[in-house]
Amino acid sequence: MSKGKILVVDDEAIVRTSCSRTLSPEGYEVRLATNGAEGLKMASEERFDLVLTDLKMPDMDGIEVLRIIKEKWPETAVIIVTGYQTVDTAVKAIKLGAYDYIEKPFTPDALISAVTEALTSTQK
Amino acid sequence: MLVKKSLQSLTGKLLLTIGTLMIIGSTLFWYFLFRHQEKELIQNSVKYGYSFVDYIKKSTRYGMLTFQELIIQQTIEAIGSAEGVIDVRIIDRQGKIKYSSTKQGVGEVLPKESPICLSCHVSGKPIKDTPSWSIHKGEKDFRILNFVQPVYNEPSCYTSTCHAHSKDQRVLGVIEANLSLEILDKSIKKQGIAITVYVLAFLFVISVVLCLILWNLVSTPVSMLAKGMERVAGGDLDYTINIKRKDEMGELANAFNAMTSDLKKAKDELMEWGNTLEKKVQEKTETIHRAQAQLVHSEKLASLGRMAAGVAHEINSPLTGIVTFGHLLQKKFPPGTQEREDIEVIIDQANRCSTIIKGLLGFARASAAEKALTNVNDVLHSSMNIVRNKADFFDIKLITDFDPALLRVKADSSQLQQVFLNMIVNAADAMEGKGTLTVTTRNISENNQDFIEVVFRDTGPGIPQDNLEKLFEPFFTTKPVGKGTGLGLAVSHGIIQDHGGKIAVRTKLNEGSSFIIKLPAQRENT
Repeated sequence: MSKGKILVVDDEAIVRTSCSRTLSPEGYEVRLATNGAEGLKMASEERFDLVLTDLKMPDMDGIEVLRIIKEKWPETAVIIVTGYQTVDTAVKAIKLGAYDYIEKPFTPDALISAVTEALTSTQK
Repeated sequence: MLVKKSLQSLTGKLLLTIGTLMIIGSTLFWYFLFRHQEKELIQNSVKYGYSFVDYIKKSTRYGMLTFQELIIQQTIEAIGSAEGVIDVRIIDRQGKIKYSSTKQGVGEVLPKESPICLSCHVSGKPIKDTPSWSIHKGEKDFRILNFVQPVYNEPSCYTSTCHAHSKDQRVLGVIEANLSLEILDKSIKKQGIAITVYVLAFLFVISVVLCLILWNLVSTPVSMLAKGMERVAGGDLDYTINIKRKDEMGELANAFNAMTSDLKKAKDELMEWGNTLEKKVQEKTETIHRAQAQLVHSEKLASLGRMAAGVAHEINSPLTGIVTFGHLLQKKFPPGTQEREDIEVIIDQANRCSTIIKGLLGFARASAAEKALTNVNDVLHSSMNIVRNKADFFDIKLITDFDPALLRVKADSSQLQQVFLNMIVNAADAMEGKGTLTVTTRNISENNQDFIEVVFRDTGPGIPQDNLEKLFEPFFTTKPVGKGTGLGLAVSHGIIQDHGGKIAVRTKLNEGSSFIIKLPAQRENT
């Protein structure tokens, strides 16, 4: 029994792999998307408990992904992953309904605790 | 040469003109006075001569009427022997010399062309029968005054018993007397010499006096003025002419002195102006240079910031991989093994990279601040509370001197805190964990603008001159590798600049450094 279904949207393969290698052993079912469009397509095909999305991507940025997901599937928790964290984008993300944001480079522990916290609070 | 020069001078020309006029005047005066005196004397002599001739006539009258020739001759001889009388002659109508005081030529008939005949018988003119006189040159140096007196017929003559003359004769003969003008000539000569001497003496005295007056009144002041002009033209504006007089020369000297002092004043003002201008230009040039350097510095920092942000973004993802896989790998080895420790080093170094990148990001994002009215004292208090309990600060004495009436600033308090923490940590590092850090705040005013000033003063070793210029450049650090990124001051500088403030350093080797932060303040009511 999986602890939850997680979609990782990031254009960087190493980040995607890091997330799946960290979260899969913890009992999460992890799906990977290489860009925003692919991520949204996958989200429309199956329901995810949590979406981890990068903020800066070539085709569609993380804020846009967050906005559409929150619009279509409000119960899905979103955590923003950013390598370029700034106060204003973080504030914008939270305002749009993101649960939290984590900064790259993150440790496996930081990722696990952020994901756990987000899922626990949304499932309550 | 000297004479020519003195004649060309003003005094020379004046002297020459006045002297010439004086000589001409004196000569004319002398001439007319001399002539007048001579005329007077001759007139007196003539008067005397007439009475002398009349006397001859009267003395010989009796002899004539009684026709006693001997008596007449004796009388004439007696008269002719008087001093100043050269000769006396009586000549009849036919020109025959009847009597002569010198007895010479008696009985001779004078020719019609002789001067005595011509005095009456001028050809072509009626016979002149009036007494006449003339002066002619004598044989010696003196002149001779010649009188010719006609003897007129009268009743007693033609009625006389001798019947020598008939009634119809008008003139019976002439009496001629020659008188010597020796005394007169001598006197005239004497007087002439005297007058000449007087005139010359007068001319000399006048000339000397004139020379002295001109010398004092004109020549001396003019040469003083000329000398003054020369000195002033040569640049000596302190030169004054000392002529204490109330005439035109005195006025000229005063005007000259006033002109010189005005010139000096103007020159001084001009020089002063020139000096200050030079100084001002220098100051302005320095300001421009500083502003230019600041601009270049800011531009450099801005492009560095952009580059840092790009690099940070690119590097964070690979770092995520390194950290994640490091941790995954680490879990495969039991604690205490060499492999686990090696992997720990990899993770630590990746984290260090992450710290550096965070610093870079902080440096790059300084513009995205959320500013609100902030009390800097509060921010400082919280910053100091953060460090107070850290081990690095156990031996550091923290002194605060905050102005309770400190004006507020419009600032992002978290960014300010970042700056203040940076300052405090840097000071602690500089003092190597031992010393005194004094933090003061106060209100200041610069160019009618309110600022607040925060000073962090440490008792560290100070900053060498070479390092001062690079102090705010990114990646410049004197801390050991791994301890500092060299971004703290660059980030602080960026943040303060973004807040419209300034950050400066005052340092003295072996005595410590002061970091001074100035931020524009807001009055409560505005």
